[in-house]
This record gives sequence, structure tokens and C-alpha cells, in this order.
Amino acid sequence: MARVKTYVRPMQGWWRRNPYYVRYMIREASSVFLAIYTVILLVGLFRLTQGEAAWDAWRAALASPGSIVFHWLALLTVGYHAYTWWKVAPKTAPDLHVAGSPLPELVITAGGLLATVGTSALVYLIVRWM
Amino acid sequence: MADTRTIEIEVLRYNPEKDTEPHFQTFQVPFTHDTSVLQGLQYIKDHLDGSLTFRWSCRMAICGSCGKMVNGVPQLSCHTFLRDYYPGKVRIEPLNHFPVVRDLVIDQSDFFDKKLPSVKPYIVPKDAKPVAAGAHVQTPAQFQKYYQYSQCINCLLCYAACPQYGLKPEFTGPAALALLHRYNADSRDRGWEERAELLNSEEGVWGCTLVGYCSEVCPKHVDPAHAINQNKVNSTLDYFGVLKFLMPKGGA
Amino acid sequence: MQSVQTDVVVVGGGGAGLRAAIAVAQGDPRLRVALISKVVPMRSHTVAAEGGSAGVIRSDDSLDHHFDDTVGGGDWLCDQDVVEYFVAHCTEEMVQLEHWGCPWSRKDDGHINVRFFGGMKVQRTWFAADKSGFHMLHTLFQTSHQYPSIKRYDEYFCADLIVEDGRVQGVVAIDIATGEFRLFECKAAIICTGGAGRVYGQNTNAGIVTGDGMGMAYRHGVPLRDMEFMQWHPTALPGTGILITEGCRGEGAILTNKDGYRYLQDYGLGPTEPWPRPKAMELGPRDRLSQAFWHEEQKGRTVSTPLGQVVWLDLRQLGAAKIYERLPMITEVAKTFAGVDPVVSPIPVRPAVHYTMGGILCNGHTETPLKGLYTAGECSSVGIHGANRLGSNSLAEIVVFGKVAGERAAQYAKAAPAGRPETMRKQAEAVESRLLGLLNRDKGERIATIRDEMHEAMETGVGIFRKADGMQAACAKLTVLRDRYRRGLKLDDRNRAFNTEWLSAIELGFTLELAEVIAHSALHRKESRGAHTRLDEFKERDDANYLKHTLAYRTGDGPPRIDYAPVTITKSPPKSRVYGGEGKKVELT
Repeated sequence: MARVKTYVRPMQGWWRRNPYYVRYMIREASSVFLAIYTVILLVGLFRLTQGEAAWDAWRAALASPGSIVFHWLALLTVGYHAYTWWKVAPKTAPDLHVAGSPLPELVITAGGLLATVGTSALVYLIVRWM
Repeated sequence: MADTRTIEIEVLRYNPEKDTEPHFQTFQVPFTHDTSVLQGLQYIKDHLDGSLTFRWSCRMAICGSCGKMVNGVPQLSCHTFLRDYYPGKVRIEPLNHFPVVRDLVIDQSDFFDKKLPSVKPYIVPKDAKPVAAGAHVQTPAQFQKYYQYSQCINCLLCYAACPQYGLKPEFTGPAALALLHRYNADSRDRGWEERAELLNSEEGVWGCTLVGYCSEVCPKHVDPAHAINQNKVNSTLDYFGVLKFLMPKGGA
Repeated sequence: MQSVQTDVVVVGGGGAGLRAAIAVAQGDPRLRVALISKVVPMRSHTVAAEGGSAGVIRSDDSLDHHFDDTVGGGDWLCDQDVVEYFVAHCTEEMVQLEHWGCPWSRKDDGHINVRFFGGMKVQRTWFAADKSGFHMLHTLFQTSHQYPSIKRYDEYFCADLIVEDGRVQGVVAIDIATGEFRLFECKAAIICTGGAGRVYGQNTNAGIVTGDGMGMAYRHGVPLRDMEFMQWHPTALPGTGILITEGCRGEGAILTNKDGYRYLQDYGLGPTEPWPRPKAMELGPRDRLSQAFWHEEQKGRTVSTPLGQVVWLDLRQLGAAKIYERLPMITEVAKTFAGVDPVVSPIPVRPAVHYTMGGILCNGHTETPLKGLYTAGECSSVGIHGANRLGSNSLAEIVVFGKVAGERAAQYAKAAPAGRPETMRKQAEAVESRLLGLLNRDKGERIATIRDEMHEAMETGVGIFRKADGMQAACAKLTVLRDRYRRGLKLDDRNRAFNTEWLSAIELGFTLELAEVIAHSALHRKESRGAHTRLDEFKERDDANYLKHTLAYRTGDGPPRIDYAPVTITKSPPKSRVYGGEGKKVELT
């Protein structure tokens, strides 16, 4: 259609223009914390193979103030990540109908969150017990 | 009229014959409880500045013509009301992520000439039933599988909402992909294999990062985010050669 | 001026235009079709049609019943041979749409469901929830993508026909995006531009329903037939005029006045029980219902609201489940635009202009008197609606006659000789310079001024009920308005690119002429029939003198010349038009 001089608006700063996009970017950014935490755990695993001294050094590093701060942040952001994950999970499910009506998204979201919290609690208890 | 008030409406102006870039212009517009944003624009055009240019037609949120950005949110201007913004200002811009042709009019040709035709938006018949043999039987359960996705009025609010489309215009986009799913899911259709290449590509479902704003803004609750993202599962199954065993003979 | 060579031009991309284009493409893929529309096709006003489309499928129904309902509904002004063809072809078109994917609403067993509509003896209205026109239009539009011989010219405004050697050989259109003119050379043209509801202020119609195609044909000597018959839909929202479908009443909704009284029983449509019952009370024909409102308003029994006088359309007894399933769109419309939830409150409604029964004269094959020119849909007067259209006959009309028009135009195009591009080009350039003249004025009245005065004249003088002096006043006013239009409109917008103010000025030219045709046709019909009802000395139907069609011919700047033509009667001699009466309560499906 455009046989006239159209104007293309720039996309720079697009995500700052709408609170919905800001929340989306926070959601995506939370995966950075998740990734770093995973790397820390993998390093720990590796240290375990290197003997008791390496393992103890890794554990001591975890107890440093910087590490504590990071882990609190990671807990928060990964928690947010889990929450947003289950909020969008129904979008990835096929169209489900129960007795003629569409399955409410809340069922998948709530079920998933409960399962996440429950599993986390279980792992925590096992680790504490050990 | 007793309850007439005045609101400030700021509109984006752009004249391709004179301007190198757009600018805003402000108007004072009288309104009542029922005045829509569209009616505000019509008031400006009828009485203040006849050169203000915008699309509209049905005034009842079914034709899809009147999409605009209203205070940064994609809306149909015919069913958005000035009373909900008063006493603040109303800023009206053309739908995001499309080139601006003139004032509030966007260049829609990418959707109508490319994206929509690319999904093969028609029934590829599963059978060779002639018209004389009558209508197909389609149970309520079969109907439910696609009906929601057939409600799209092509208003393009979802494209204005989708940042992926804004960043990468090759992305087929929410409405077109929802329509693709609508046909795949229709019991009368067997075209999923013909549509598979597009569906499975980076321009298809894999261009979506589930921002989800498209479904938020859709005035007809089509839920394009759901249409696209449930097909990521299908696309994966198709990649591993499994999907064709799960599909009913011929199609949905 | 750029030229496009094509075989068949279709002007208008709504249901009729798309169906015609598909018919040409299916019939012969070698014929080039140019589908020219001033909006992208799915914006066409077909999209707003709600209730459904008629087609006989029940075993207790018959083509004769549909025929009788239609001819009676039209108060015997229908061309019965055309109605016979029409009713015999509705169902196959509905099935064709179903094959193309139209999501018709189903019964629990998966078979097509049909509902009651006003003036119909048996359920025969196929419906897709309450968005039947939307679904039909999108089905047709999406299906049309399969035919590469259909080339679309979206947002091209057709401004005039090119007639050479007594036949249509071209169309001049403005490419809206650039403001440039384009000549489409063709062998045949089909006008599918819809109705003229925007002649009136209070209407259910979109802004685009300005009668451009009717105006174009009229300016080239084709008469407009039966234009005095404008349909007021009885249930539109006050203020905006947004449509609340007859389908509500087909599902059992009732109309009450300010006393909660079902007033239609006072106007020959009763008794009230049993309800629902076909062709009685709220399932009577639209003209009767709109007229009843007018009487109630005169008696002071309507409800005063800031947006005008209304009555109540009460859906509450249908129950939430049925309302959400069958009438989801009007539920949203009522909540959004009237602030009421129909599940718990009645909807305020009043009549508004909705449909143009009359239009471009054509025969049952959609051929107009101008060779090479065909027409289908609301802009045409093919002869099926007579003096009042039954609901759900219009959505059926566009596909039945859209197909006929495509087939006939294709046939003609194959045999038509080549045109002479140079003389066509000269005509086209004359059109261009005339219309650019509109653009370049810097003195005159605003469009809105003349438009509002036209609305006022029509609502007052040529409304639901008419009197000789009122119609005469309207005719006189329209002569003045046409003169003021000719003297010039002042446009703020001087651009060529996407100048919708300029296009509105062109549309206003068409609308003013159509308003004049309506007013004069009405004045000359000295009887009351169907939607044309007079309160002066001509209150009754007069078959002896007026069982005939009105034809309006353009005379240039002056008022139209009015003539008459006979009505074709085959199986159904004129009887009195009776609704209401005794009957059995029906099972709604």
C-alpha cells in the first residue's frame, strides 16, 4: 500500500514505555539469576570431585557476605520466575475442555505453583534432615 | 447539555507531503458520558480540523478499522470512552510497529498482503463432499476446538502489542498465527501439513517469546498467545516426526 | 493516469462483491477480476450483520413457505419470479459457506441449527452466534485467497463509471493512499457497494454506507427503484444507533414500554400468548414494529433517556446460559455502549435506519439496463424485498445474487468486444479534473453543516411515518442543499495522500442525490405499503393504483423524474398482510 513516504517509528527504549513490557523484561532478566545460580551449583559439584579441601573452600565462599546477598536476590527472582512461569504455562497447553467448558487457566497456574512450592519444601526438609 | 465537559486530546500528526517526522497537536474537545475516543476524533475532524485523518467504520467494535494507541495502549477507539481518561489528557497515536502513512493511519499492507495470505487461511477440505450432499456434521466439541480463534476482527492491536513484531517484522505475528491455528483445528480441514513449514519456522511460532501482551489487548478474546504457544508443542512433535501419528487421519 | 486492464471489475468487497469475484474465478480462472473496495474487505458493512441468513432446511418448512413469508413481508411489491429463484437457492449457498469453513451454530448432534426471525413462519435462519455477517464475510474473504485471478485493490475509492458505446467499459478509482486516479478498463462491472443508510442521522450503519455505487449508476442513467422503502430496524441503541439483533427476539426476547407492557399487542400483532410464536408479537415484521414504537412515542408511553425515547428489549427470561451462547456479541455491545447487562437488565432500544430495500434496477439475473453493468446485494433492487425486507433475507441475498452476478458478468465479459482506450482515457481525465475541483476549493461550507441539515430534513420529513407537507419540505430542502453543495465545500485538507475529508465530500455528493431520490419517490407514492407509511389521506395500501415499482431517473441538477413499472406476480396474488393472531407456542431450538 505504501506508495507514499511513510514514517517508521524507532523501537529504541520500547520496553520502558509500558508497564506490561517492564514486567516482561524483569521476568526475562530473572533467568539470568537462575543461570548464575546454576553455574554456582555446578562449580560446587565440580569442587566435590576435587576433594575435601576444594569442597570446604567452595562452602566457605558461599558463606561470604556477597554470596549471601546474591543468594537472597536469586531466591526472590527465581521465585518470581517460577510464578510467571506458571502464569504463562496455560498458554502452552492445548485447548482443554472439561464438561463442555474451557479449563480455567487458574487450574494449571495454581496446580503448578502448589507443585513447585510443595517440591521445594520437600527438598528443603530432606536436606535439613540430612 | 448539562453534563458536557471538555477534555484535552493530543494527536499525532504526520503529513507525508510536507513533514519529515511526526509531531503532536492538541485539541480541546467537548464530551459527555457516552462519548468514545472515536467520536472525539470525529468532533475534531467535523468542527476543528478537517485534515485530521484516521480510519473508522462500524463504531461497534466488529469491523476492526479504528485501532489506535490511546495513552500508549492499543485500543479500539470506538469502544474506548473519554470519560475514563478525564480529567487527564488523552494522547492518541497510530498503532505501534507499523509505518505511519498519515496522521493516525498506518500502513497495514504487511499484514494484508503478506502475513495473512501466508498462513493459507482457508479450508483445505478433508473430504470431497459436494455442496449438494449438504453441510458437514460438526459436534459442539469439534466446534469448541477452533471457534474462539475464528473471532479475530483483524484489528491489528495484537501486532501493536507484540514487541517481537516491532523488532523483527518478518515474524508472522499473533493474528495470522491464530488464524493458522483456527484452520488447523477445524475438523473440516486437513491443511496442517501445508501450513507446517511456516508454523515450524522462526517466522512462525518460534518467533514468539510469550510476552503475552497480544492476548491482553485483544478486544475479542481470541488469545493469540495461546494459539501460538500450544503449537510449540505440536511443532516439536512434528520435528521428531511424531505429530503425524497423533493427528486424526487427514487433519484436526 | 495509470491504467489497469482487467476483465471484470467488482466494486465493493463485502459479501456480495466477494461472492461475485469468487464466482467469476471459479467459473473461469483465466478471467481477470479486479476487486476494488474503498476499505479492506473485512471492514465492509456485511461484517456488522448479526442475526443470520435464511435457508430452508427443516422438514416442516418448504420453499413455498419461505416464498410466502417473503412476498407477504414485502407487502406484495416483490417480483415473485425472482423470489422463487431466491428461495430455491438460499440453502445451497449456506451449505457452500459451511464447506468454506463458516462456523454456523450447531445443535447438539452437530447438525445445522436454525432460528426464528421476524415474519417467518418456520425456523429457517442459519446463524453463527450473533455474528453471522462477521463470520460469513471472513469466510468469504479468507476463501478468496485461493483464487489468484482475483486481484484486490484495497482502499481504492471508485468515483465513476466509464460508459462508452452504451456499455460500461471502465471504472475510475482513487488510490486513497496517494490520491492518484487509476482507470480500470474492463469488459463488465458489478456494483456491490451496499446501502444508503447514512442519508439519515440515526442509523445502524457504518460510516462507509454512503450509497456510492447507487449514485454512480444513477448518474449514468440507470434508474433507482423503490427507494422510498427504507427499513427502520426496531431495536437499535439510542444515540449511536448500534444494532441489537432481531436474533434476540428469535430466541424469545420481548419488547415493553415504560409501564412494562408488551405494547405490540395493541398494533395487530397480538395476542401475547403463547410466546414465542412465529409472525406474532415481537416476531412480527420490522416495519410494523418500528411503526408501533412511533405510536407509543406519540402516546407518551416510551421511556425518556438522555439519548432519546426508548422502549425495553427484555432478554432476562432467556437465562444467562442461552444469552452467552447465542447472543454473546450483543451482550458485550449492551454492556459497552449502553451500560446494561442483558442477563439482569432490559436493553434500551429504539428504531434506527438499517436497510435500503430499493436500489439499482436490475432483473433476476442481476443485469441492469446499462449493458455490461451488473449489481448485487443491498445496493441492488433485484426484486425480492418489495416494500419491507424480512430479517435474514439480506445475508442470503448477497451470496445468492453475488454468485449470479459473477456468473453473468463473466459470461458477458467473455463475449464483449474490446474498448477504445483513448476515448475512455479522456472521460477518465474529465472525472479526475471534476473531483480535483472539489479538492481545490478554499471557500464554502463545511461538510458537517450540509450533512447535518440533510439528516434533519430526512428524519423530519421522510421518517417512519410520512405526510405530504413533510415530504414536500424535505424535497425542497434537498434541492437547496444540492445547490449549496454545488456552490462549494471548504476542505481543510488539501493533501492528495490519504485525504478522507475529500472522500467524504465526494460521498456527500452521492448521498445528497440519493436523499433526493428517496424523498421524491416517497412523495409520489400516494399510498401506504410496507415501510412507506403515510399519516395523511393515503393511509391504506392501494393495489389498484400502486401495485407497481417506483423508478427514479436523474435529470441533472434538478429533482429526479419519477416513473413506474409493473410488479411481477406469479403464485401469490396480493392479500391483506396479517400478523399476530392465534397460534401454538413453538419449541425454540
